[in-house]
Amino acid sequence: MLLIQTNAIADALNSSEWVFPITECFHIAAFAWSIGLIALVDFRLLGLGLKRETASQVAKATAPWTLLGLAVVLLSGPILFLSDPRMYLYNPSFRFKIGALVIAIIFNYTIHRKVALSDSSSAAARVVTGIVSLALWVSVVFGGLFIAFA
Amino acid sequence: MFILSIFQWLQSTDIMTFIRESGLTYPTIMSTHLACIAVFGGMIVITDLRLLGWAFQDRPIADIVNGLRWWKRLGFVVMVTMGFLLFGSKAAEYDPNPYFWTKMTFLALVGVHALIFRPSVYNHPEELDASPVIPTRAKVAAALSLILWTGVLCNGRLIGYYEPPGQKGHVVVTPASN
Repeated sequence: MLLIQTNAIADALNSSEWVFPITECFHIAAFAWSIGLIALVDFRLLGLGLKRETASQVAKATAPWTLLGLAVVLLSGPILFLSDPRMYLYNPSFRFKIGALVIAIIFNYTIHRKVALSDSSSAAARVVTGIVSLALWVSVVFGGLFIAFA
Repeated sequence: MFILSIFQWLQSTDIMTFIRESGLTYPTIMSTHLACIAVFGGMIVITDLRLLGWAFQDRPIADIVNGLRWWKRLGFVVMVTMGFLLFGSKAAEYDPNPYFWTKMTFLALVGVHALIFRPSVYNHPEELDASPVIPTRAKVAAALSLILWTGVLCNGRLIGYYEPPGQKGHVVVTPASN
């Protein structure tokens, strides 16, 4: 039953040759937008970039725009997925990407947020948080791209 | 034909042949290109949002523009280098690809944008901060920047979808049929 339903959705998504590429453009633009804004906070935690602002100022200024970008990413992603669910589910790069994505989002809204918003965080905590965040999001991008090459 | 012959020569060089024929190098360069787009894109986005008055309103425009200037240049150089390697390894296929040429046109327009708005906006952010309201030229620069970079990005992705008549491209990624 589930299979029949997903097939119906997939057929609808595959009925026009433009649905997938255009959704993908939204997906890429939105992840560049949101990951790039998160990276600004990461770089600030590492002492780079917007040095005249504090990490908490950068985090606060970017937060609503990051959320907007993530919302578009998380709406467009499932549309891409539903175009061919079985291919994605059995694709090792896709599984890696989703795992990294879940961890990256949880990390972003827990430890990353706490460290960035607290101006009393230790230097070590800031550096580790910035590096872990960058590594997680770069993993998501690599995993996503390797879906097509796996 | 002249351009195609240059592209064919580029593609046949040792380094480009290596990239094309090695299994992991090509997708790794492409992933790096994409990760660079994200990091570089974030710097463009926050600069534009600040110029539009939609983010960092309590911080000087000069802080944002000056703080990111050299990082943007570094990101751009890495991004373009990766992009050139991707293009060069399959250059002959890019020649008939309309999305490739549209992307190059958008990149050229980014250059025109820089020529027009650097002297009046980006090179003198302190003057923008001295103004009681954000000058219209700064907002126009920001809006055009967002539009042009979106054009570069979307056409860049669409390059992979083009199939010349009667041929199959290398990087065509279409959802498998059910």
